[in-house]
Formats: sequence, structure tokens, C-alpha cells
Amino acid sequence: MGRSPSDLAVFIGKRLVQLVPVLFGIIVLTFVFTHISVTNCAVWFPHASKSTLANCQAQFSKPIVDQFWIYFVNLLHGDWGASVAGSPVYPAIAAGLPATLELVFASLFLMIVVGIPLGVIAAQSAGRWGDHLVRIFYLTGWATPTYLGAVIAAIFLAPYFGLPSHGEYTSSPPPFPQYTHMSVLDALLAGNLPWAVDAFKHLLLPAAVLAFINMGIATRMTRSSMLEVIPLDYVKSARMKGLSEFWVMYKHALRNSLITTTTVLGVTAGGLLAGTVVIEEVFGWPGIGAYAYTAIGGGGAAPNFDGAVAVVAVFAVGVVIANLIADILYGLLDPRVDWR
Amino acid sequence: MTDAVVAIDNLSIDYVVGAGRFRAVSEVTLEVPRGHVVGIVGETGCGKSTLAQAIPRLLPEPPATIGGGRILFEGTDLVQIPRWKMPAIRGTGINMIFQEPLNSLNPAFRIYDQVAEAVRIRKLRESGAVAVRRNEPPGPFDYSRRPNPTASDAWSGKIVPGGAVQEAVHRREVDRRAGGDRAALEKDVLDYLRLVRINDPETILNLYPHELSGGMRQRIMIAMALSEKPSLLIADEPTSALDVTIQAQVLTLMKELIEEVNTSILFISHDLGVIAETADELGVMYAGKLVEFGPVGDVFSSPRHPYTKALLRAAPTRYKSDGPLTSIPGNVPNLSHPPSGCRFHPRCPIARPVCKVDPSPPLLAVEGAAANHRSACHFAKEVPGIP
Amino acid sequence: MSGPTSSGSPRPPPTASAGRRTWNAVVGFMRVLRANPLTMAGFIIVCLIGVVALIVVVAPHLLTPYGPDQLTTDYNLAPSWQHPAGTDGIGLDIYSETLYALPLDLAIAFAIAGAAMIGGGGLGLVAGFWDRPGTAGGWVSIVVLRITDIFLAFPSLILALAIAVSLGRGVWQLIVAILLTWWPFYVRLVRGETLAVKHLPYVMAARAAGVTEGRIVLRHVLRNVLEPVVVYFTLDVGTVLVTLSTIGFVGLGLVYPSQAEWGSMMSYYQNAGLITAQPWTVLGPGVAIFVTVLAFSLLGDGLRDILDPRSRRVLAGTGTGSSATHEEPPVPVAEDQGELPTATEAPASG
Repeated sequence: MGRSPSDLAVFIGKRLVQLVPVLFGIIVLTFVFTHISVTNCAVWFPHASKSTLANCQAQFSKPIVDQFWIYFVNLLHGDWGASVAGSPVYPAIAAGLPATLELVFASLFLMIVVGIPLGVIAAQSAGRWGDHLVRIFYLTGWATPTYLGAVIAAIFLAPYFGLPSHGEYTSSPPPFPQYTHMSVLDALLAGNLPWAVDAFKHLLLPAAVLAFINMGIATRMTRSSMLEVIPLDYVKSARMKGLSEFWVMYKHALRNSLITTTTVLGVTAGGLLAGTVVIEEVFGWPGIGAYAYTAIGGGGAAPNFDGAVAVVAVFAVGVVIANLIADILYGLLDPRVDWR
Repeated sequence: MTDAVVAIDNLSIDYVVGAGRFRAVSEVTLEVPRGHVVGIVGETGCGKSTLAQAIPRLLPEPPATIGGGRILFEGTDLVQIPRWKMPAIRGTGINMIFQEPLNSLNPAFRIYDQVAEAVRIRKLRESGAVAVRRNEPPGPFDYSRRPNPTASDAWSGKIVPGGAVQEAVHRREVDRRAGGDRAALEKDVLDYLRLVRINDPETILNLYPHELSGGMRQRIMIAMALSEKPSLLIADEPTSALDVTIQAQVLTLMKELIEEVNTSILFISHDLGVIAETADELGVMYAGKLVEFGPVGDVFSSPRHPYTKALLRAAPTRYKSDGPLTSIPGNVPNLSHPPSGCRFHPRCPIARPVCKVDPSPPLLAVEGAAANHRSACHFAKEVPGIP
Repeated sequence: MSGPTSSGSPRPPPTASAGRRTWNAVVGFMRVLRANPLTMAGFIIVCLIGVVALIVVVAPHLLTPYGPDQLTTDYNLAPSWQHPAGTDGIGLDIYSETLYALPLDLAIAFAIAGAAMIGGGGLGLVAGFWDRPGTAGGWVSIVVLRITDIFLAFPSLILALAIAVSLGRGVWQLIVAILLTWWPFYVRLVRGETLAVKHLPYVMAARAAGVTEGRIVLRHVLRNVLEPVVVYFTLDVGTVLVTLSTIGFVGLGLVYPSQAEWGSMMSYYQNAGLITAQPWTVLGPGVAIFVTVLAFSLLGDGLRDILDPRSRRVLAGTGTGSSATHEEPPVPVAEDQGELPTATEAPASG
């Protein structure tokens, strides 16, 4: 009933089409931001020479639609502007993106593998001590500002566990070609096991901190949807079949709770991406988060206006894609959803 | 007394609510003789569902606790064994079907997967990989033992040729043989679906529960439960949520199945007519207590408890066309503060001062009635005289 | 009282006075808290923080041994009895500075969350209630929703950072920057709740009885929307605080030490290289933020569970939450019955 493979294509296709206006809206919005601050050429380039300032002002005095058209065309050509010092934005972002993706995926993995079972445990012991402990755990993560957690991990936890706290590898550059620019993946593809382990160790702390801080949403959502599912009759039926409590929970109950839990994937994506800004800076991870940090003027660096806008737009696109994936997953997981 | 599949002895079930405790089921004693259908009737809130779910230890045990008594199933006291050992008894020992067909089947899995899961569990246990010993509490898996054969096993086919068992040492190997043989599994699933009178079961194997009607879902539930060949099947109001016409169909099905299959059934319902059609023995519950128990014909024709009599009188029949509907005056008591003595005394037409005195009257055999016809009334002999 | 009962419609049962109902509500709330120790801990800490903030504003010398800009000659000292959180490179006592930052941080967080709640909530109410396509309200709804969706695509922290850069440093710039990214959440929340309530039977009954739209919104819709919004607000204060201090950390918030604020304190220490050299500097503002946000989160998270009708029975300490059929022991709890329009609201004619 409306769930054949061709129906799936329609389902995904419809959502991809809905993406377009949102993406366009993102571009328009970032354009608006760049041009709202017309009066703030001085803020963006505080130490610039008169000619740069004049240049800046000149750009902003053309008619708005022209400005937007120029902006849009440049975007498509890969000209995303440059920093004050002149280094182009697009190559920097393209270089840093895989590293950030690796970090985000690793955190997502940890969040799922740790956060969801915690949510199940909390639901099973609702109102009792298991529930309280889990709640303290994820609220602690939630309440820790990213920089605080990163700093504590880098300064205190790293030496304690003997984990590195800087960079992707112990020494750069690695002795194998970097196809994906994702540290662990590259090392594995090259078959270089010692480097893969080293890369993994470097990935561990930043991903763990990022996961810990954002885990709350996943755990909470799992907990509340499990609380809804557990009293239902089909869970009792599963128990009565003679299945052990483990299978009743993780096969029958969780399968249905996951349907609602995937909807929070989009919210999580936003938090994860935002967290990379500080995490990458503190841990020296060469991704676009660190790039954003300096572009925004963090730590006293000269603000990179074009770079900041570009990163914001990239993050927004990331969130939109994450929401899209969550939507599709929801349609896949819940058999009651008609794909037409 | 005939061999009983399950014997409940003085069972009480308490709920811990905030600071207090209250007793949902009070000292109930009844047996389900092997091969019989025992019905339990009572109004909403009388504790029959609680009793039904307590037998396989299905109630969530932090709020609910067993306040005393025993549940003897095939020689094991289910109250004494730790709850995590229950899965071994459930399924093939005791199984249960529920009221809401909407919620009883897992909406995320196809029909084939759900029924096959049940069949697979049974096959694993039959082949001896998971030993369920009859006269001892289930313990860690012991591959060298086989289930003790009893007379009923001969029908149910639980005995498996010995040679195959000795070879199957590794559980994984047995997994592949007993559970992994997809063709045999599918055949079994189809057989059981046909058993519940589903025509062309092949067409529904790949469907999801939400794509089927309520009556169909209930049949599949029954098929799923029976496919594990349980010794005891508990039916908790299986027809209450169905339309009247579908209800009739499912009831007919159940009556036929009762003839065909040797499973003993404990049938919970609030509908006297349903019980009348299906049960061999009948128990009547009121405010957490079992007030009458006996052969269904006897209880209906000659009830020996005032409550049963009032209940029967209150049920509208086609033949009564004169006079208003009779109801039982008063209200069902609040179980946190039950009346002293006999719980029915505030509403009873033949109540005497002694009825208010604790303890509440015990369930005893009634003189002049059938051998196992019991009533919890001090004045059971006078009940036939009530107009 | 006196007189025959032939005066027409039967009188409604007397409801408790407002004072009595408030007292019942407070008693009920206290009992609920006692049943959830974590939520109670959050509530107590939040109250304590409020008290401390008040003291710091009114009579700071009670809690802080040093003035707000008082430079001691003790540089870079580790925590000691005299300086519970140590001192920094220019001689400021970290503990005192942390306390001085408390009222400012709280005020900014409440201002942002409050303004977002009122502004975003108002928009959400309009977008949810008057969203019939084709009407003026319908167009407004669509526009509001589209804009909200686009804003929601941006991770709020990143967007706030970007806006903060273009606005510059300062308290108002900070508030505006975060506020601009925060209002969409409330729009979505309130709109969702409004949509859910709009179709409840008793709202339709009120409309059928002739109650004006405005009154319906105020009495029925707003009441139901208020609960989840208040819960969200409580949690939000914590989230805003974290965002606010992160912006400070990146170096875009207030300037320390002229204005004490936890995030800018951390940024100052980070830039001065103090965090690696003297790790205890993290203690002052870090612990303060952590404890404050944790308290609000515990309270908000607990409230969310308590107010969710599904888990209400288990956690409110009055029921078992199971499907057992039993009667609830009689307990005096103020119950808000959804009100049907009373006789005074019925149309005057016949």
C-alpha cells in the first residue's frame, strides 16, 4: 500500500524538491546579513587601509538586486570571497569539511550507542534510581558549556587517560595519500594500522566531549517514547511469547520508539555543528569549526567576513540535510506512513 | 480431583500506591483442570484482569507485588521463582491473548515475522536446546536434558526423537536447524493461520497489522499464541473490543478450537453470554475476591451467591419484556477501604449482622450442589430462595 | 439558600475561592516535588541562586570580600581560604568577580528568553489560531512560518555569533544577537500547541455557545499553551546562558574586566594563557555556569516530565501509572477542570 520502491523514489523526490526554496532562503538570508552591516565596514575591517574601506563601501552602494545577482553567481562559481589577508574561502572550507564531518559522525555514533541504551534503561526504571542517574548524566552534559567541557577534557582528562589532545595525527602530514581527508578512514584505506590507531586516539576525546554535551536530546527522546510504548499490549504479547526482557525491549519496544526518536536528528545536527566551533578550536582539529572560530574573530583574530558568512551557510545546509535524512528515515521506519 | 494445569492457592496481589498499599486481589483460590475452559466474570475493577496478568507474572512488579499465596503451574510455584526466569515458562507453558487487537500486534513488523517468531521459539524449546523441566524451576540451559514427557505431551507433540537431540550440542547449530529452516517455518505459520480460519493466508504474510481488520488481527493473535502450543492459554477479554458480528465469529472460532486443540483456557470476560457459551467452569469475582466457583451450568441455573444471582438477574434477556431493568443497588466498593467482613454485604438482600464481621466468608463447597460448586457466602443455602 | 428552586437553571456548584485554590496548588506542587528528588534539588538551587543574585545586587559585601574592581596585590594565586577560587593576573579575586557576574548573566538570560517567549510566542499564537487559508491571518501565518523555518535551519549559536560580529560588543548587542536567533523556537512551540488545542471539543463548544474569539484565545487556548511554554522557558534560561557564555568565550560578548560576565571571564583567561598555566581559573566562572544551568535544567526537565499527562501519574506520586483498574485514594489536589462557558457568557437573547 504505497510503499513500493517507486513510491520511495517519489517520497524522497518530493522532499528534495522542498529543499530548494529553503536552500534559496538560506542564501538570501546570508546575503541579507552581509549587506545589513553596510555601516559596519569599519567593524569588519578595523585595521584596513582607506582604500580597502573605500572598496568595501563601493561594493555596498550598488543596487540591492545587482548585488544579490553578483553574490549568487559568485557562489556558484566557487568564489566565496576571501579573508582580509586574501586567502580564498572556498578552498579552505573544502579542505576542512571532511574533518568536521568525521568528527560529527563519530559523535553521532557515540550518541546513538551510548545515549539510546541509556534512554531505555531510564524508561525501564522510570521514577526510580536508574532513571535519576541517567537524568543526572545527560543533564550534566547538557549544562556544560562546550568550551568548559572541551577545556576540562583537554587539560585534565587527556593526560589522565593518556590520550592526545591536539590535531588529527601525532605528526603531520601522514605518509599515505589522503583520499577522503578523514583521518581514521584514510589510514584504514591505506592499510596503515598504527596510524589508524593513532588517528582514532586523536578522534576519541573531541568526539566524546561533543557527544556527551549533545547526548541529552537523544536520551530524553528515547526515554519518553519508550515510556509510551512499554505499557502497550504488543510489548506484553512479546513478553508472553517467551522472549527474554532484553529482546522485548531492544527488538520490539525500541523498534517502535525509534520512529519518534529519529525526528530529533535535525535538532541534534544543529547542536553538533555548533559545538564543533569550540571543540575544534580547543583540540586543534583542522575542520571548518576551527575555521569559523577564527573567521568570527575568536581569540582576537581579524574577522574574516566572507569566511564567516560561508561557514554559517554551510552549517545551515548541513542542518537542512540532516532534517531531510531524519524525515526519510521516519518514513522508512514507520510502516504506517504512506510514501505517496 | 482431575489434574490441574494451574492451581492458584490463596493468592493476593497488592499495589503500592504512594505511601499506602491496597489489595487488588484477595486470597483467591481456583484451579484450571487440564483440558477445561475456566471462565472468570466480574464487573470492571473486580480484579479479574489483574489476576489474569499476575499468573504469568506480567504485572510490573514495582507497583504490584504478590502479597501471599502460590501459583502452582505444572508443579512449580511461580510466586517463588525470580521474575527473570519467567520467560522460559511463558510462550510454551503459559500464553496469553489480549483485548485490543489494535495494540496487540507490533505495528512495525510484518505478520509473517511475528507469527514465525513464536513458532521459532517453540521449535527451539522442543528440540531440547532450551530445556524446560516440568517439575523443577527453570534453570540455566542444560542441553543434555529433555523435557519430561507427560500424558498430554503425547498429543501436543512435545516429544522429539532422541537421536536428533543428542547430536545438537551447540545452540547455534540447533538454531540453524530448528529455527533457520525457512520453508518449514513458513509452512508452520501458514498452517496455524489456516487453523484460525484465515483463507489464503499467503496473501497476508507480508502485510503489516495496520493493514488488516480487527477481527483478522484477533485471529492472528490467537494463531500466534496457539502456535507455541501452550499448556495454558489465558484469554483476557479477547472479544470485548470487537464489533458484535466479529465477536460472534471469533467466539465460534474459539469454541471450535477448544475442541481441536488440547490447551486449557482461562477465559476472562465481563460478558456473561460469552462465558456461558465457552466455559466449562465459571468463577465470579467481586471487589477482588472470588465469590463463587463451579460448573458453568450449575452456576447459571442455580447460583449460590447473592451477587451472582443479582448479576444474572441484571443481564437483560430477550424473554423479559415486562418491568424495568433490574440493577444492583449501591456501588462497587473502593478497594483501598473495603467493607468489613463480606464485601458484598452493603448491597446484599440477605445480609445479616454476621456478614459485617471480619474475616470475609471463605469459599466453601455448598451442600446440595455439585461437588466442586463453591460459594463465599455464609448463607449460600438460602440463595436459591431469593426472588 | 432561601427561596424555591424554581429560578430556572440549576446553580453551578460553588468553587473554592482564589486563595484556597492557590494554596491547594502550592501544596500539590510541593508534594510533586517531594516525589521527584532531582527536580526538587533543581528547584532549591534555583531559589538559592535567586537569593544570592539579590544579595549581590543589594548588599554585595555580605558575600564578597572584595569590591567589583578591587585589585589586590596577590597575583595568580591558587585557591586558598582568602581567595576561594584564586586570583588572576591583575590581582582580581576570581570568586568575587564570579559573584558579581551572576546578576548580570541571569538578567541577560531572562531578558532574552522572556522576550523570545513573548515575541515568538505571540507570533506563534497568531500563526496557529488565525491560520485559515485565504484570510489575512492565513497569509500572515504562511509568511511567519516560512521565515521561521529558514531561521531554524541555522544552528542558533552560529547565527548568533555571526550577528554578534556585525553588531559589535556590548550588552544590548549581545541581547539582540541571541534574541534574533531564539524567537523561532517559541513560534514553533506555541503554534504547535495552539493547533492542538484549537480542535479540542471544549473549544468548539465555546465557539458554538457564542463566546467571542478573543475570549476563547485568552481563556482556553492560552491556558493550555502556558504549561509547556513555561517548562520550555525554564529549560531555555539554561540554554541561553550557555549560548551567551559561549559567545563571551569566543570573544564577542562583553569586555572583561570592565563588565563581569562569566563567558568573557573565560575568554580573558584563555587569551591570557591562564587556563593552561593556572587551571584553577576555570573553576570560578566554569563552576558557576555549570551549577546554574544544571539547576535550571533539572527543574525544567523534571517539570516537563511532571506535566506530561502520560507520566503524570507515576511521577506525581499519586498513582501507579499501570493499566490496573483501581480507584484513586481521595486526595485534595486542586484540579483545573476545563471550563465550559458559564451562564454569564451565554448570549443575552432567550
